[in-house]
Amino acid sequence: MNADKRRFSPELVLRIILLILFAYFFFGFMLIPCLNTLTSIFNVKTADGVRDPWAVIRFFLAGSMPRFVWNSLKLAICLVITVNVVGISLVLLTEYFDIKGARILRMGYMTTMIYSGVALVTGYMFLYAGDGMITSLLKNAFPGFNPNWFSGFNAVLFTMTFACTSNHMLFLRNAIRGIDYNTVEAARNMGANPFKVLWTVVLPTLIPTLFSLTVMTFITGLCAMSAPTLLGYDSINPEIVRLAGSSTADESFPQARAALLSIILALFTIILLTVLSAYERKGHYLSVSKTKAKLQKQKINNPVANVLAHIYAYILFIIYMTPVVMIIVFSFQNYSAIKGKRLDLKGWTLINFFGTADYSYVNDRGKTKTVAGAISGVFSNEKTLGGIKLSFILSAVAAALACVIVIVACNYIFKKKGKKMSALVEYALLFPWLLPTILICYSYRTYFNSDAVWYVGNQNLYFGKYVRLLIILAYTVVKLPFSLRMIKAAFYAIDEELEDAARNLGSSGIRTFLQVKLPIILPSVLAVFALNFNALFTEYDMSATFQSPNAITYAMVIQGMLADATRGANMNALGRRCASTVFIMIVSGLILYLVYGVGARDLGERLEAKKRWRNRFARLTGKAKKTDAV
Amino acid sequence: MIKLNDIVVKFGDFTALHDINVHVKEGEFFTFLGPSGCGKTTTLRTITGFIEPVSGSVFVKGRDITHVPIEDRNIGIVFQSYALFPTMTVYDNIAYGLKVKKVKKPEIDKRVRDIARKVDLSDEQLQKAVSQLSGGQQQRVAIARALVTNPAIICMDEPLSNLDAKLRVQLRNELKKMQKDFGITTIYVTHDQEEALTLSDRIAVFNKGYIEQIGTPNEVYNFSQTEFVCNFIGDINRLGEGVLKDLQAAGADVDLKKHNYIRLERLHVNQTPTNGEVVLKGVVESREYYGLYIKYYITLDGQTIKVIEKNDGVNIYEPGQQVDVLLNPRDIMAYEAKEEA
Repeated sequence: MNADKRRFSPELVLRIILLILFAYFFFGFMLIPCLNTLTSIFNVKTADGVRDPWAVIRFFLAGSMPRFVWNSLKLAICLVITVNVVGISLVLLTEYFDIKGARILRMGYMTTMIYSGVALVTGYMFLYAGDGMITSLLKNAFPGFNPNWFSGFNAVLFTMTFACTSNHMLFLRNAIRGIDYNTVEAARNMGANPFKVLWTVVLPTLIPTLFSLTVMTFITGLCAMSAPTLLGYDSINPEIVRLAGSSTADESFPQARAALLSIILALFTIILLTVLSAYERKGHYLSVSKTKAKLQKQKINNPVANVLAHIYAYILFIIYMTPVVMIIVFSFQNYSAIKGKRLDLKGWTLINFFGTADYSYVNDRGKTKTVAGAISGVFSNEKTLGGIKLSFILSAVAAALACVIVIVACNYIFKKKGKKMSALVEYALLFPWLLPTILICYSYRTYFNSDAVWYVGNQNLYFGKYVRLLIILAYTVVKLPFSLRMIKAAFYAIDEELEDAARNLGSSGIRTFLQVKLPIILPSVLAVFALNFNALFTEYDMSATFQSPNAITYAMVIQGMLADATRGANMNALGRRCASTVFIMIVSGLILYLVYGVGARDLGERLEAKKRWRNRFARLTGKAKKTDAV
Repeated sequence: MIKLNDIVVKFGDFTALHDINVHVKEGEFFTFLGPSGCGKTTTLRTITGFIEPVSGSVFVKGRDITHVPIEDRNIGIVFQSYALFPTMTVYDNIAYGLKVKKVKKPEIDKRVRDIARKVDLSDEQLQKAVSQLSGGQQQRVAIARALVTNPAIICMDEPLSNLDAKLRVQLRNELKKMQKDFGITTIYVTHDQEEALTLSDRIAVFNKGYIEQIGTPNEVYNFSQTEFVCNFIGDINRLGEGVLKDLQAAGADVDLKKHNYIRLERLHVNQTPTNGEVVLKGVVESREYYGLYIKYYITLDGQTIKVIEKNDGVNIYEPGQQVDVLLNPRDIMAYEAKEEA
């Protein structure tokens, strides 16, 4: 209905070009590779070269493959229970009940936000593995204690139970803070005690959030990668990676089997997400809204219950904090202290972060030998530094790319609201959400490992350093749905009348976008960029799937430090691993602070902060002048 | 000045505006009044160019602007939400339109400060973020932004609806004063009849995509052309058959087949009839005390009639009290009964 619709404008040309680019991106890098994976299941040839579409399915039903599916399901089901129990506990203990030291407890419970994946799993291994500190302690205290308890299913479940509560701390915490405190007061007024109120008033309002969290946890369990790989548990994802690297010489059609497993994983995910979105469509959203009526903490009146709640809270705190504290402490210890897992009060050093040192030892013949540079810090070790640099570039580029694609798409979606084309664009961007990350990466790896893909100029993208381009694409695609959800929410906050106002004042579409809309959404965009970067910087699952010597990302390097530690040449690999985790914690912590602390300020708050600084400065110089006069 | 000729606007199958014809005069304060969904904002958006009519044309100063792009129409708008750009300072908000038009910097500065002074914004306020201003100040910024480009017309879409009651009345007066000072042709959209009556030179009353009446506040209020207008504007009594028969018996010329209405303030209690008033016997049912006036509910020939009496300290009537109700048949507004009514 707009008056200028009929005019042929540069904007229209730009829009058409962008749509074509988008279609190329969607079909070329989302749909076709994944469809190829699906069809590859049925493209299996037997040893005689005969095509046998059902061979993989038969193999699946007859062989040991269902075990991997069952193992993943078992993990997912158990995680739903344990993560919910722990996650709900954390939120109630910090937000609902009046527990002494809740602030400190909360900080401890939130540590999983600043380190996860490989960094977290290796941290847990440092404490709980056979020669780990805590296991050694337990072994000394209880001679019958099984030193290898921390392996396989137990270890994965234990680690992931505590590692996967970040979402609870984000969304459930927000939901409980959003509860209208008057309802709690009303229930108390009618004679209910805090536990009764919790059960009958508070928890029912949290059910939508809990439902969403449960589905998310289930999917996390199904798609678990770093914990099962590092701790040795036969679930779907590690098996796909193993099969992807295997060849027909070793076993029957490994690629088709990997494809089948990833499709099974995708089916589970699609079903679960369909259920979730049907549920959300009824109006149950994970909300991050702010409410002004603040929930007041409930005192536990029963003294026994109160003491028990405190003990429980602090045990959880210790579980969360121990790995963090130990990793930080040991990152400043020398290699012998780390190897012996014994704190050496004289062994403080910065060598795990900066610089190199030689390692001398006495060999079998009694001669002293020196290995030059066998001890090196995170920022001096070539391999580690290489991993950091590579991850930094790949993550930054992909995080930015995802933001740019989503911003342009959102601008289009909001302009053409209600039109078919805009709905298509939106669904296309949400498409990767339905697919497990491993399916996308596996599909890339197999589909682009060929020089017959015409739309990338017949260049094998899995070959040599091109794999880095492939990783950037995979990172970008995987981050699109999250970026869309967040940036779309920001677009919703733009008052439609603003655009009308700008146009009325003579502004063109592009100008309005750049000068009016973009500045409004910019804080959200920067936040999404930072969060994307944060997640990708230490990402393990995808680079592990690509398994390429040209794609040794930071997480892969950290994983490698596990192996290095057993060889004499690289003495302080464990120390460097601790230092790496500390480095990751600092980077993540900084990013989260920037996103949620500084980035959330609006122009008014920024102007006021500026004014405060100016006043402070003026006061300082004013004072200086006065003293001069004196 | 502004002429709308047979404007028709459709949204899909729904016809939002049916043959709208309006003629706004130079310097006039013209109000579109009506309930929500009646087409008043759609008409405004047709004038400003956000909506293109299916048929009909829009003329400004004799020039057909029906297909002229929004930005070339030279019409200022004050939006309901003010639509101030939150990432810009007050100064930048006001300067935006001039910057887009590539006006020279010193000229922009001069004009921004000039208009700011006229709408009572201080230099300090100009450097603030929009969010640091109060609702009333934000409105002044919105007006300044709309006026700084010297538009021929200014359109305001419910600019007071976001404010609390007291501020609304205060700003209403300021708005009127500003309009008078600037002498600019103004089109004002509101659903608030009091706002329309106090501000406007003329009012167009909208209903379901049609214009029911165009007239001065007095014409619209006292000589409502349609039943909708008389019901929508102000409070009113519809007279029942009993009262009408009594009036007929007293020699008044009333048509029982029509719908007959009378305004509350045109009825009087216990007064001496002077010229042609008819006296009816009633009983006070209840009363509402407003301070400035008192509203009585009086049972009259089997129906309840509302009457407003100025609270001048003369008489206060108690519920149950017998009273004389005076009314002049001349004050009755009668309308042909429509099927659906």
